[in-house]
Amino acid sequence: MPDLTPRPAEPMPSRRRRRIGPILVLIAVVGFGGWVLSNLRTAVDYYCNVDEVGVRDGCDADRRLRLQGTVAEGSVVASTTRTEFDIEFEGVSVAVRYAGEPGGIFNECIPVVVHGVFDSDTEVFLGDRVEVKHSDEYVSVNDERLTAAEESACSPSA
Amino acid sequence: MTTPTTSRSTGTRATRVIGIAAIVMSAWLSLFGLVLSPADVAQGDAVRIMYVHVPSVWLAYLAFIVTAICSVWVLVARGRVPGVDRVAGASAEIGVVFMAVTLVSGMLWGRITWGVYWQWDARLTTTALLFITYIGYLAVRGLEGSPEQRARRSAVVGVVAVAEIPLVHWSVRLWRSLHQEATVLDTDLDVDIDGLMLFTLFVGVIAFTLWFVWFVLHRARVMALAALVEERSLDEALAERAAEVPAGGQN
Amino acid sequence: MESIEFIIGSYLLTFGAIAVVAGRMLRRARSLSHRVPDEEKYWL
Repeated sequence: MPDLTPRPAEPMPSRRRRRIGPILVLIAVVGFGGWVLSNLRTAVDYYCNVDEVGVRDGCDADRRLRLQGTVAEGSVVASTTRTEFDIEFEGVSVAVRYAGEPGGIFNECIPVVVHGVFDSDTEVFLGDRVEVKHSDEYVSVNDERLTAAEESACSPSA
Repeated sequence: MTTPTTSRSTGTRATRVIGIAAIVMSAWLSLFGLVLSPADVAQGDAVRIMYVHVPSVWLAYLAFIVTAICSVWVLVARGRVPGVDRVAGASAEIGVVFMAVTLVSGMLWGRITWGVYWQWDARLTTTALLFITYIGYLAVRGLEGSPEQRARRSAVVGVVAVAEIPLVHWSVRLWRSLHQEATVLDTDLDVDIDGLMLFTLFVGVIAFTLWFVWFVLHRARVMALAALVEERSLDEALAERAAEVPAGGQN
Repeated sequence: MESIEFIIGSYLLTFGAIAVVAGRMLRRARSLSHRVPDEEKYWL
């Protein structure tokens, strides 16, 4: 016959002690999250700006890059097999050769992200993918300020 | 077994008014979005996708925030508020649907502006993560357990998951992204958008908010009906079983 | 209108999703509603 006599209950942790555990876990999670976010900055950033090549960590010229800059006005030369253009950022310019015709709303004076590698001999950036990075500004084609908007379109953006 | 009933739906006068208003506002949204609003200087007509994309993500965020608020309520009441728990679940279901719509409409928009459907940049990746998290929330709701257990368990996920929304919203500020920064909910309060475009967006937000209220009211009532039917089925099965057992006998 | 198939497609997708979800939900409501007496429907 098993002993069914009630056993003395184990002492419950105090209310204060029970609260400390979750708070410590929360602090640890928030702290770890902040540390991960700050360290992920370079790894998660989608692109390097043109002026950061060889300067910023992770933007070395001898590795595959995603390069962001504004397509220089009057620089686009398109042939049947490739498109050549310059991209600029903060006064620094890079010549790009892309094998194909860029899609999206590609145009002069618009920010783009080009995926590719630098040709070590010519220092031309050989792109194999071009993505257009449009801004958060929405201007009507009927807007009276259109001329001003077009004039400012070629100014570099972050 | 059928029960005599006069009402054959989850509708009321209020839901009918909200539903009609949502349909009318959606018609206005389509008219403004596709016809009356102007094309954008840089994007051309592609900007028209924004009028369904942004209200969709607004609805999804709203739904997940409502889920979180209800989840806190459930936790405070230790799971003994089935009505609130149903609103949390209904809201999350609607949020997941509209998050899927946001992802697909965003891909279509991306294809004609960026030139690609998808890229694993910060905004797109965190948005996909948010979508998957709430699918997980719905999966947790379906796990075994008593109604109180299930409510409390999913409420914990509902409270934790909502923390992803600020991460998604500010991902374009925290990291460099292919996705543009927020235009209307920008922290520097500099709204760079044409007047008629902003109005069209506003019509979309109103329309989708009405849809949200309509969906949650109906879905929560459907969930209540399902719970009642399950309860009645169990009672009926027990009654049938009891009738099978001979009086005073054992089975 | 340029890229009209993408633009119309996004509207069809959005309102199509609303229509499908609403339709399924109302059908489910009808199928369950007759099994529950009115006095148990808190919204009536």
